[in-house]
Amino acid sequence: MANHPTTSGARAHTYDAIVIGSGISGGWAAKELCEQGLKTLVLERGRDVKHVEDYPTALKHPWEFPHRGRLPETVAKADPIVKRCYAYDESTAHFFVKDREHPYVQEKPFDWIRGYQVGGKSLIWARQTQRWSRFDFDGAVRDGIADWPIGYDDLAPWYAHVEKFVGISGNRDGLETLPDSESLPPWEMNDVERHLQRGIMGAFKDRHVIQGRCAHLTEPQPLHYEQGRGKCQARNLCYRGCPFGAYFSSNSGTLPWAAKTGNLTLRPHSVVESILHDPATGRASGVRVVDAQTKAVTEFFARVIFVNAACLNTNLILLNSKSARFPAGLGNDHGLLGRFVAFHNYRGSLHASVDGFADSYYSGRRPTQVMMPNFRNVRRQETDFQRGYMVFFGASRSGWQQGNGMPGLGAAFKEKITRPGPWGIFMMMQGETVPRYENHVRLDPEKKDAWGIPQLVTSIGYHDNDEKLLKDFLAQGEAMLAAAGAKNIRAVDDKRRPGLDIHEMGGVRMGRDPKTSLVNGWNQLHACPNVFVTDGASMASTGTQNPSLTFMALAARAARHAGEEMKKGNL
Amino acid sequence: MNRREAIFQGAAFAAAAALGLTLPVRTWAALPLPAGATDAEAALLDAIGETILPTTPDSPGAGSVGIGRFIFMMAAECQPADAVAALRRGLAEIETASRSNSGGAFAGLPAPAREAVLLAYEKRAAAETARGATNPFRLIKELTMFGYFTSEAGATQALRYEPVPGGYRGSVPLRPGDRSWAT
Repeated sequence: MANHPTTSGARAHTYDAIVIGSGISGGWAAKELCEQGLKTLVLERGRDVKHVEDYPTALKHPWEFPHRGRLPETVAKADPIVKRCYAYDESTAHFFVKDREHPYVQEKPFDWIRGYQVGGKSLIWARQTQRWSRFDFDGAVRDGIADWPIGYDDLAPWYAHVEKFVGISGNRDGLETLPDSESLPPWEMNDVERHLQRGIMGAFKDRHVIQGRCAHLTEPQPLHYEQGRGKCQARNLCYRGCPFGAYFSSNSGTLPWAAKTGNLTLRPHSVVESILHDPATGRASGVRVVDAQTKAVTEFFARVIFVNAACLNTNLILLNSKSARFPAGLGNDHGLLGRFVAFHNYRGSLHASVDGFADSYYSGRRPTQVMMPNFRNVRRQETDFQRGYMVFFGASRSGWQQGNGMPGLGAAFKEKITRPGPWGIFMMMQGETVPRYENHVRLDPEKKDAWGIPQLVTSIGYHDNDEKLLKDFLAQGEAMLAAAGAKNIRAVDDKRRPGLDIHEMGGVRMGRDPKTSLVNGWNQLHACPNVFVTDGASMASTGTQNPSLTFMALAARAARHAGEEMKKGNL
Repeated sequence: MNRREAIFQGAAFAAAAALGLTLPVRTWAALPLPAGATDAEAALLDAIGETILPTTPDSPGAGSVGIGRFIFMMAAECQPADAVAALRRGLAEIETASRSNSGGAFAGLPAPAREAVLLAYEKRAAAETARGATNPFRLIKELTMFGYFTSEAGATQALRYEPVPGGYRGSVPLRPGDRSWAT
């Protein structure tokens, strides 16, 4: 395999920067690079998805779907992994990868949920956006599970930078465990959520019940109108793509913004096979691309390369980038590439009911939940497990679905189930998992995909620590709901497989020490500094927050750094 | 047209123009039946659906939206392979019970007699399910509710449907007569 530029006409294929992947972090890398005047090629393995016009289901009514949103059994049988994803249904299926088209090898069960298209999973993300706190960084270092070279203060200005462009709704709660964002007005709690807030915070002084923060324009600012984005209409049909541009995606935000500079080239159907390493310079020289449709191989060249293929595919590309200098994959001098993959533990949930509030209701469909920042092991180790969890919950009244399992029929039955039913509560966890050497991905030595690229082997599982943390959440959740007067509390461990959280992180972890990590504090490969990894793969620990906001801040910060270093002649 | 309708229709028009969308299918009358199922069975399911969710002063019943063909289609496409056979067996049992206990074909009975037949069958279904046997009544009832309340008539007349709420209000008094939100 050639590892240096061989394609004729290389100049026409040469850019200042290449970004692999157009999802939430790749979009940010592209925007920041283009804004610095750098000619930037964004390679996306999937098809193009244009904002609004490629959202075919966005404005459909329920009765316009043949199966009313459900998926046929044939689909469920053919694609059992993606079928388990909560956001995958008849109205959104076109934005999800089908298992059968992109096989991988599960050494341990792992539900790998993917979105191969321009915009990637930024079209189908859950849009919850919390900053990491200093405890998320420093706590992991304190516990000896990560070697973060950066902390909250390094990221704070980049959080602000990203938040102003994205638009984050939420309160300024003034909490050390969940720093405030540059925020737009918050969504409201309903009456029962306020009741729970009073009950829980009255009984547990260190547990803060706050309104969730999400990437929705509750009150668009000039910078959002300039993007062509408008106010959230509370439809909560986000996974279909938003025709109002009210939630942030690469498609509605960063990519068109980057295109306006005149410096962006977006190339869909471009499967990156590997990154090319030039032994003469000791740097990466470009990438080798297989056309997704024709399978023709092309090479592109640039001074810097950003790898934003989403966590596991970023690992795959680097592992497959083998050269004389890096026989085990780019930047992998110690065999740690693909190691220390972690995720978020979503197994626990609680269901309960609340009496009363019969004359209270709500209108509109809020795209976020109520949340509680982590309260476990924040300042010191306090429990029999490491790290902590965030809690999400919400209250609502049952609709016609209350009729399922209810005996009876006829006019009185119809009358009953068309009136709002009792209030129910749903509470869930988002637990930090500890990155472990044994939780890893690697290339299968034989199996290849349709583009001749080795399939990924996933070997990622739960640990006893995860079981203890789950047990604690279920016990604490029950105690909090009981303290707030909830009834019929039921705790559930759904035993879901890792991956279904869609928060996989690590494998190319950041660290101070090149002997134990892959990228430095600017997301550059220690051993090949013109390659930047700024998606979830670079995370040294997982924190308790939804990670996308941090990925965006890391990508923007690294892209700015890359541009500055290029101007100085260092890259 | 109010503001929200205007926003929605404007956006809908733009999207439809971009996509060349055809008009949505809003009726199930043209749905083909799965192999083995008959028009008579679909009509019996319509009558059963209408008994579960009948026409009331404010809204049509499930029978009038043609629920029978929808239930057959969903059983064939979104349920395990034996669902259609179980459904047809259940229909035969309901028809037999109707003729032997109420003196006539289910579709010809007055509403109270139909309700009595189905309430008895629901009890039988619960007993059978409790001892591990298969009975399709719960599926019939669930798909009747699901199909009806996601149909235009059910969503907009039996419930309140707001495609573009425009915002979220967390505390709204529930007045007498207010229906649930359809979505």
